[in-house]
Amino acid sequence: MLDLREVDVHRGDIQVLWRVSLAAQEGKMTALLGSNGAGKTTLLSAITGLLRASKGTITLHGSRIETRPVHEIVEMGVSMVPEGRRLFPEMTVHENLELGAFARKARNQRQETMDLIFGIFPVLKGRRLQIAGTLSGGEQQMLTIARALMSRPRLLLLDELSWGLSPVATENIFETIKKINRTMGLAMLIVEQNVSMTLEMADYAYILENGRIVGEGRAGTLLESEQVKDAYLGIGDL
Amino acid sequence: MPQIVIYGIITGAFYGLTSIGLSLVFGVMRHLNIAHGSLLMIGGFVAYWAFHLFNIDPFVSILLVIVILFALGAALYKGMFCRLDDLPEGQKINNSMLVGFGLTWIIDNLAILFWTSDVRAVTPAYTGSVVELMSGMRVPLVGVGIVGLALLVIFSLHLILTKTFFGKAVRATAQDRDAANLMGINVERTYLIFFALSSSLAGIAGVVAAVNYSVHPTVGFEWLLKAIIILVLAGVGKIGRVFTAGLALGIAEAISVYFTGPAYREVVGLVLFILVLLYRSR
Repeated sequence: MLDLREVDVHRGDIQVLWRVSLAAQEGKMTALLGSNGAGKTTLLSAITGLLRASKGTITLHGSRIETRPVHEIVEMGVSMVPEGRRLFPEMTVHENLELGAFARKARNQRQETMDLIFGIFPVLKGRRLQIAGTLSGGEQQMLTIARALMSRPRLLLLDELSWGLSPVATENIFETIKKINRTMGLAMLIVEQNVSMTLEMADYAYILENGRIVGEGRAGTLLESEQVKDAYLGIGDL
Repeated sequence: MPQIVIYGIITGAFYGLTSIGLSLVFGVMRHLNIAHGSLLMIGGFVAYWAFHLFNIDPFVSILLVIVILFALGAALYKGMFCRLDDLPEGQKINNSMLVGFGLTWIIDNLAILFWTSDVRAVTPAYTGSVVELMSGMRVPLVGVGIVGLALLVIFSLHLILTKTFFGKAVRATAQDRDAANLMGINVERTYLIFFALSSSLAGIAGVVAAVNYSVHPTVGFEWLLKAIIILVLAGVGKIGRVFTAGLALGIAEAISVYFTGPAYREVVGLVLFILVLLYRSR
C-alpha cells in the first residue's frame, strides 16, 4: 500500500537518503531500524511531505504522493506520531483529539472515533479537559498516538515511541500498539531505537545505515541474524 | 475624576481595537506587520467616502470595511508576506518589518496621491451628543458605540478562536506549525485567512479613528505607535490582555492630560513602554 522507489532526500544542501526503496503492507507492522543519524526520521518526513524527495517515487495505494502538500497526504490516510510527541501543549486533551480529526473525512465521524479511542486509552477519557502539557510523559505519548488515530488513518507512522519513557511505560505503549495493529488492520511503519522489542513485534524490517538500506527481511529472521545481533543487540560476541 | 476615567475607557477601547490585529498576527504567524497602521488608514478613508458620497453611517459601513480590508489583506499576504513564512523566526520578524515599512511607504503615498493630505473626519448627526449616566457623568454617544464595538470584537474573536475548527487550527498552528500540518491543516490557507482577518480588524479600528478623531494619509503611523506600545505592554496573542493594556494606556493618558495638559500625552505611553522593557523579564 505504501511503496517507495529509489528515493533521494536532501536537507538543505546535504543529501540524507540515497536510493531508498521500501514497502509497507496493510495490517502489517514494518520496522525501520538504524542508529542515530541514519536518516530514519528524514524518511518519515519525506513520506508525510514535510520534506520533499529530490528523486524517486512515493506511492500510496496506487497514487503518487511525492509532490503533494502535507495536508492532502494526511487526507489520503497517512498519520504520524512524531518524534518528541509534538502535542499542542496549551490545549486540552479533547482539543488535541479534535485536531487529530481535522481531515475532512475524519471530522464527521470524530465522535465515534473518540469513543473508540477512549476504549483503547481509558486514562485519556478521565483527563479530557486537562491541558495536554500537564499530562505525565506516558499519558502524553498515549495522547499522541490517540491523536494520530483520530484521522482514521490507513497508514500510521510511528517515530521513536520510547522517547523519554521509562521501560515499563515503553512496554505498555508497545502492547497497545500491537493491539491496535491487530484490531484496526492498518499499515504501520515504526522507527525505533529499541531494536529487540521492535523486532519481536514487527512483521518485516529494514535496516538503514548512513542513508542507505543495507538489509531487510522478516523480523523473526533478522532477530536471529548475526548482522543485527552485532550492530544493534549488543550480544554478537556472546 | 470619574469623567476622566470614562474618556480613558473610550480611548482605551479604541487602542485595543488598533492593536488586536497586529498582536494576533504577531503571536500566531510571527509577522510584525508595520503596514497595520496603513490598513487602518484605508479603513478610515473607506468609512469617510461611504459617509460623504453615499451618506452611509460609519457604524454600518464597518461591514463594507471588513470585506474590503479582508480582500486587501489577503492580497498583501499572498503577494508579499507569505514568501517569508519558511524563514527562521528571528529573520521572519525582521523581514516582515522591512516589508511592512515598504508597504507603508507605498500605501501612504498612494493615499496622498488619490485623496490629498487633507485631514478629514466622519461627522454623523449624533457626533457631539452625550448620554447622561447617573450622578451627572456624561458619556459621548459615539463613545458608547466604540466600547460596544470593542466588546463585540472581543466576544466574536473569542468565539472564533475557541469554538470553530478554523480557530482551533489557528491556535494549533501557533503552537507547533509542523505538527498542525500533520493534522491535515492547510497551514498556508490558515495563515492567509488569519492575516486577512487581522486586516479587517485594522479597518474596524480605522473607522473608529475617523469617527472619534480624524483620518489623513499618514495617520496610520501614529496609531501604529500606540499599537506597538500595547503589544509590548500586553505580551503576545491574548485577546483579553490586549484590551486590558489598551484600557490601562487610555486611562493613564487621560489622567496625565488632566494633570499636565495634552502636551505630554504621548510621553505617558512611551514612558510605560520603556518601563515595561526595562523591568519585565521575558
